[in-house]
Amino acid sequence: MDGQLLSETFVELTDTMVADFDVIDFLHLLTDRSARLLDVSAVGLLLADARGELRVVAASSEAARLLELLQLEGDQGPCLDCFRFGQPVTSADFSADERWPQFAVAARRAGFAAVQALPMRLRDQVIGALNLFREAPGGFDPEDVRVGQALADVATIGLLHERSIRRSDALNEQLQSALNSRVVIEQAKGKLAERLGLDMSEAFIVLRDHSRSHNRRLSDVARAFVEGTETIPAPRPGADRF
Amino acid sequence: MIWELVAEQAAVHGSGMSAGDACAAAVAGVQVTGAWLSAGSTGDGGHLMRATDGVSQRLAELQLTLGEGPSLDAFASGGPALASDLADREPGLRWPAFAPAACEAGAAAVFAFPLAIGAIRAGTLGLYRDRPGPLAGRQLGDALLFADTATLLLLNAQANGSSVADSDRQPADFPGHRAEIDQATGMLTEQLGVSITDAFARLRAYAYANDLRLTDVAGDIVARRLRLNPGPGPSPDSTRELRG
Repeated sequence: MDGQLLSETFVELTDTMVADFDVIDFLHLLTDRSARLLDVSAVGLLLADARGELRVVAASSEAARLLELLQLEGDQGPCLDCFRFGQPVTSADFSADERWPQFAVAARRAGFAAVQALPMRLRDQVIGALNLFREAPGGFDPEDVRVGQALADVATIGLLHERSIRRSDALNEQLQSALNSRVVIEQAKGKLAERLGLDMSEAFIVLRDHSRSHNRRLSDVARAFVEGTETIPAPRPGADRF
Repeated sequence: MIWELVAEQAAVHGSGMSAGDACAAAVAGVQVTGAWLSAGSTGDGGHLMRATDGVSQRLAELQLTLGEGPSLDAFASGGPALASDLADREPGLRWPAFAPAACEAGAAAVFAFPLAIGAIRAGTLGLYRDRPGPLAGRQLGDALLFADTATLLLLNAQANGSSVADSDRQPADFPGHRAEIDQATGMLTEQLGVSITDAFARLRAYAYANDLRLTDVAGDIVARRLRLNPGPGPSPDSTRELRG
């Protein structure tokens, strides 16, 4: 594990009091870094919607196979169980696991063999779950699980920071607004994919790179692009972005 | 359940379901004192479509006059703006003119919700209570569902002339919860050269005219098996291409 990246990540995940803090960018940081630090193939994050559903908010890759699988997790699977009970849930090998038949089929089709779901929890409040996927069957490295849970914990505390804990209104506003921002991002992916002839995951990368290089929030860029007030140029031909 | 409550309201006046019915049904459904609904796709607060009592109407007017308040914030952020206790310090700092005026008008707690699906914005739903206190978890969820229902009814009404306009049936899948629907809507803005709101109207009109599920049509568009052509209406013959 990259110790320097790990400590940098912890520092960044605690930096939530900044004026331009954005939940979506913050959760993308969590999924991206988890995927880089841990011995896993993919990472996805679902947040609880006050309507009573789990919704996909961020993932280490926007590959359709991963997003579809995560979307399915809102109905059935380790993530939902993890969220309901507020406890980690693991399946080292779907082929020998009968708990979630529909999810197991979809996960295998997506190329995954094992999953670890980690709750995003502070005391009795569970706001979502982080999912780690592996392509090879077998248990997760216990150290990876510990670090993954620590990252999820730090992120959760960051989101439920002191001001929010005092005022549940603020937390609900922030989470629901992030869920709507995720919808804007999907709409922007579609528009960009159609305009530039890309697939959805490529479109996401162009969108994200554009927002990073202009030092702006992903959700602001996505909204401005969908509303037609922002132009996003095609990546230079030959640029090795995908 | 929410849809039935809204239909009950519509039965009172005997015409089709409207976003105003969702607003009226939310009062009992979320257990608040009153509710108001403003329609509009720009940030100026829109126009007041429905207010269930005098205080609600006053709360809507105050925001228009003062240029600040929870409905305007909800519209701008795409998320709810919640003030469980208007007399508290936080709302006072956030809305220095609105918070005291709203208390004066008889409100103690105000909750505003965007009528939005991502970048599609149709208006806002406001709820108030004459006593302070947060919405319980279940009530917050119900308020969001009333807002979803009002959003669809408002968009239906705006899609005038198309076949979805007079449809009272409950949608099988709510956009915003299925990524393909949002992606397909985004794609259609380019294919048809229209706004995101119009793209969504065309997507639904196509599904409705062909008796298909929205998710299935969206899936075909995202997989590039189906394109819709620019043009005024959702005629299946002229729009169906590249199928299969």
